[in-house]
Amino acid sequence: MVRFKSRYLLCEVCFADPRSRQCLEERAVFSGVRDAIARAHGDYGAACCAVSFTVKYLNAYTGILLLRCRKEHYRLLWSALPFIIHLESRGQRQPCRISSIHVGGTIRTCQRFLIRYNRQQLLRMLPGCQSEEERASVHRAVLSCSLKQLEEEGSSRDEDSD
Amino acid sequence: MTDYIFYIFLDMAVEYFAGTIPDCIHSMRRHDTKKPETASYERLVFRNASDYHYMKISLIFEGGNIRLNAAHFKQLIISSLRELYGEIGAALPFDVLKFEENTLSAVLRVYSSALVRLWSALTLLGCYQGQPCGIRVVQVTPFLLALSGNSRELKLD
Repeated sequence: MVRFKSRYLLCEVCFADPRSRQCLEERAVFSGVRDAIARAHGDYGAACCAVSFTVKYLNAYTGILLLRCRKEHYRLLWSALPFIIHLESRGQRQPCRISSIHVGGTIRTCQRFLIRYNRQQLLRMLPGCQSEEERASVHRAVLSCSLKQLEEEGSSRDEDSD
Repeated sequence: MTDYIFYIFLDMAVEYFAGTIPDCIHSMRRHDTKKPETASYERLVFRNASDYHYMKISLIFEGGNIRLNAAHFKQLIISSLRELYGEIGAALPFDVLKFEENTLSAVLRVYSSALVRLWSALTLLGCYQGQPCGIRVVQVTPFLLALSGNSRELKLD
């Protein structure tokens, strides 16, 4: 069968100033990444990645970003991500760093990885808890991390697996 | 690869008709059934002719007398690579082995894997300091010795 295969890059955006994470916008990330590809890979790279490049998911609270591109050119996108040093949003330049944590063929595999990753991050936060309430809320969050609930919710919107 | 497979089939066909099929089908040797001792040969196929490719090119301006030196010439090619392939393309390692200022012709050396990128960047070279110009590729070869003679400029007396 002939069909378009894509690669999903799960990335994490780290800001120098933690408060500016709230002002993260999809459009800002889209134009920032596209310009970075054009600078790093020229006209050829910009054209290759522009065909099927979108920001699929952006979480402003955790800084998780999911990018999609074609399977043949995902390395161009991947290698251009370290060259991003700031993101423009509402006329302000915020210095940031984008690091990729996972490459998957479907949104579902990225989702599974993200749940495991979030669980690890929560467990890492546990020693730094100040009070019993925080500890209890972290415990509850860790226990509620599971794919089954999400599968029941999102079974209608999931994409086919590659 | 297809040549190699063809030769294997040829060997097997010859041995079939001669009446002796070797037990080991994947043998790389051909046994000569006529002579008492077996004469064997081994065929080696190299896919990559050479690590480098050499290009003989000449820079052509529409009009005007423009002087360039080797450094400007290399800078011109790097700027064309940067436009087409970005910063990573501009870092493509290539060498200008020879540059003649009078005829504006040069010999470039580039890794074989990077030949397509360099050639496409040379094709799309547009202008130098506002003057329209172009690059004519005279010869491309994986062996430097081939640049010494060109059958187009050969004079037979």
